[in-house]
Amino acid sequence: MNTRDLVLIALFAAIVVVLGLIPPITLGFIPVPITAQSMGVMLAGCILGAKRGALAFLLFLLLVAIGLPVLSGGRGGLAVFAGPSGGFILGWVVATFVTGLIAQRFVREGQPEVRQFVGFFLASIIGGIVVLYAIGMPWVSAVTGTPFITVATGSLAFLPGDILKAAIATLAARAVFAGYPLLHVRA
Amino acid sequence: MLTSLHIEGNSWLHRLPVRAKLLTLVALSILLFLSGSLPVQLTAFVISGGLYLSVGLSWREALKRVGFVFFTIIFLAAVNLFLLPLSEVSVLTLRLMALVLFAAAVTATTTIGAFMDEITVLLTPLERLGWVRAADVSLALGLVLRFVPDIFARYQAIREAHRARGLPVRPLTIIGPLVILTLKDADTIAAAIDARGFRRQ
Repeated sequence: MNTRDLVLIALFAAIVVVLGLIPPITLGFIPVPITAQSMGVMLAGCILGAKRGALAFLLFLLLVAIGLPVLSGGRGGLAVFAGPSGGFILGWVVATFVTGLIAQRFVREGQPEVRQFVGFFLASIIGGIVVLYAIGMPWVSAVTGTPFITVATGSLAFLPGDILKAAIATLAARAVFAGYPLLHVRA
Repeated sequence: MLTSLHIEGNSWLHRLPVRAKLLTLVALSILLFLSGSLPVQLTAFVISGGLYLSVGLSWREALKRVGFVFFTIIFLAAVNLFLLPLSEVSVLTLRLMALVLFAAAVTATTTIGAFMDEITVLLTPLERLGWVRAADVSLALGLVLRFVPDIFARYQAIREAHRARGLPVRPLTIIGPLVILTLKDADTIAAAIDARGFRRQ
């Protein structure tokens, strides 16, 4: 790995930390507040690509594990991995990787703008929602004993917020792709 | 801004080596997940809770640190009460709380340096395979700690710029400039690292 990639990974992990310091926004029609940090998965995959995005999140999780309160709301430490949402937090790495893979496969420079938007949106939805929930929900069910179907139904409350996040991440990632493309640089 | 969750102290858990603490945490997780007996879970909960409260945290701080995770556990336990027998719900809830308390106690009694030393040891096999270099992990970690305050200052500057123009402060219009401005520094930082020969390449 060259030094530039190492620096990009570290800077992105630092951006994810800062996203956790931004106050969450509450919207009337969505039951759960939206934290900017949870958009990090989609952003990292769509901006840095699969490998570097996933490594940025691995580095971020390392910060959490060694006891830095870098999760939104000032949470951190090994306790968050032991709790029911541990699967969602560990799933971030895989989710970022998948988001990055899809974005790298479907988004090219010189494509019409609309196709780039569609590519980033698909990547954010599949990686940042489908894959993440596919890891997080069985984990919650396994750890707390709550039947899977109940967990899945309950998770629906987060879906509108997540789709909105995917839309925001798509627009932001496309802005970065136009201004400073990094997605296809070899890692 | 980035203050570690470690608490100065000299409790028994403080003096225990990191490796022993982490291995105990892993062993405890396996043991508690294999056991379905209420007395075992209750004992683990009481011991973990006792350890966590003995590391030198104030009650307020101790509660604040595990509060959010406990909220999720209790919420799911309340849901479970409608679906599962009470004895099973108690086992599941006590098990999770015991693990969270023990994990929080490990975090509170271990310094970042001690964790990093342990990570370096854990990375040794991967380093032999040539997959990753422990020095790179430390360097990346150092870079994050170094740049978080800078990036936060940049976020505040962009927020002020929004306000000066009478624009609402929204993630959508903030993330783009924040990411581009930050990542554009990567080349300069990488050049500075290489010029100093930190990575010996």
